[in-house]
Amino acid sequence: MKDPAIKPWRLNSTSTRALLIGAQVLALIIFFLALEFLWSTTGGTLTLFSTFAPALTLLATIAVFGVAAYRFLKRHSLFEIEDIGPGQMIFQQGDEGDCAYFIHSGEVEVVRKEDGAEQVVARLTKGEYFGEMALISNAPRNATVRSATPVRVAILGKQNFLSMLSLMPHTQEDIMKTVNVRAMRKAEQ
Amino acid sequence: MNKRCATSSCSGDSRIKRRRRRFRAGPGFRVLALTGFVLFPFVARAQQDAQRFQQDPVEHLAARLVVALAFVGILVAIYSLLKYQGAVLGPVSWGLLFVGAVATPLLITGVGTILVFEKAERVEFCASCHLTMKSFVDDMKNPQSASLAALHYKNRYIPDNQCYSCHTSYGIFGTVEAKKEGLTDVYKYYTRTFHSPIKMRHPYPNHDCLKCHAGSAKWLASHEDYKDSLFSGQATCMQCHADSNPAHNIAQTVTP
Repeated sequence: MKDPAIKPWRLNSTSTRALLIGAQVLALIIFFLALEFLWSTTGGTLTLFSTFAPALTLLATIAVFGVAAYRFLKRHSLFEIEDIGPGQMIFQQGDEGDCAYFIHSGEVEVVRKEDGAEQVVARLTKGEYFGEMALISNAPRNATVRSATPVRVAILGKQNFLSMLSLMPHTQEDIMKTVNVRAMRKAEQ
Repeated sequence: MNKRCATSSCSGDSRIKRRRRRFRAGPGFRVLALTGFVLFPFVARAQQDAQRFQQDPVEHLAARLVVALAFVGILVAIYSLLKYQGAVLGPVSWGLLFVGAVATPLLITGVGTILVFEKAERVEFCASCHLTMKSFVDDMKNPQSASLAALHYKNRYIPDNQCYSCHTSYGIFGTVEAKKEGLTDVYKYYTRTFHSPIKMRHPYPNHDCLKCHAGSAKWLASHEDYKDSLFSGQATCMQCHADSNPAHNIAQTVTP
């Protein structure tokens, strides 16, 4: 029996961005430590460089490869079930599209940010799906999706999603219809 | 005629506008130019230092490589941070992220470690602890001084890295031991917890004199009677040499 008070820590769009920004900031610190050491070689600069540069390099490498592995697994996931708490960001406008989401239960809201202002453009519930447009058009996410209630979604990675479309023509027709409806709605707005 | 002139002037204007548009520097270009401008003195100074102190071609190349890598790494990381803000949107952004946050730091750390070991042997490095070591280095470089350090320096008995050569035992364990004790020295120096006048932690070992002198014919001829006791450690070199030629002529009155 799972303890509901314990929430497992999961990577999401915000935390992956934070990790990658952190890795690049650590790299900048390493570069400045190296230049400082060459600029003035003293006991202090040498100790700082020789102690911190390997540790920071290790942290930056772990962050980048960790995010890459996470993205790879997500891209190749096959209907993995994920429970998301209310008010959490599922993906952000401008992110790379790596999977589609099928809603089992709960409600999500689709938010589009234009000229700095956020606007809720749709609310999706059980039986609907989202995140498919970026996979078909191979473009960044055109909207942010966040959960309005506790949500259970099945995640289908990009590779498996595209295979499903090519193997199951009826699914392709259905999804293309939805894509067209959403594209028209976006054009109207 | 007028119409044609007007038309040609219009097309000329639009051409100039197009040209202006083509040469307008974007935000990415401006950031790169600014970073290069800020980094230039660092690069020049680091290369100058490398040229001044190094005699080893490996160290010379390593210093230049580290500066070049740091320069490239800073440009790539800043560009990637400003353009993508942590998002990865395909092979270009992944590539920039890998180069800026993984490949260049790994290379800099690897090559930099060679430089750490090389530069830590330099006399200038020892003299950088101004409150404690500089007076020893000044004595060594003083041609009027009769200390053992000054005699070895002015006669070029030891061509370079004089502090390191006399105070470090041979082999990798000698170097590691020196680095270990050096870390304690750095800590005490920066926290101002050293005691003045500074003293050696251990008595100066005969081994560090004998590693050079024991094989020479001149030394063997003049030390025939004491050779065995010096080799066994029953007598020390400084028992005889400290009076006429102390290791360093230092009167330390430094307050931490």
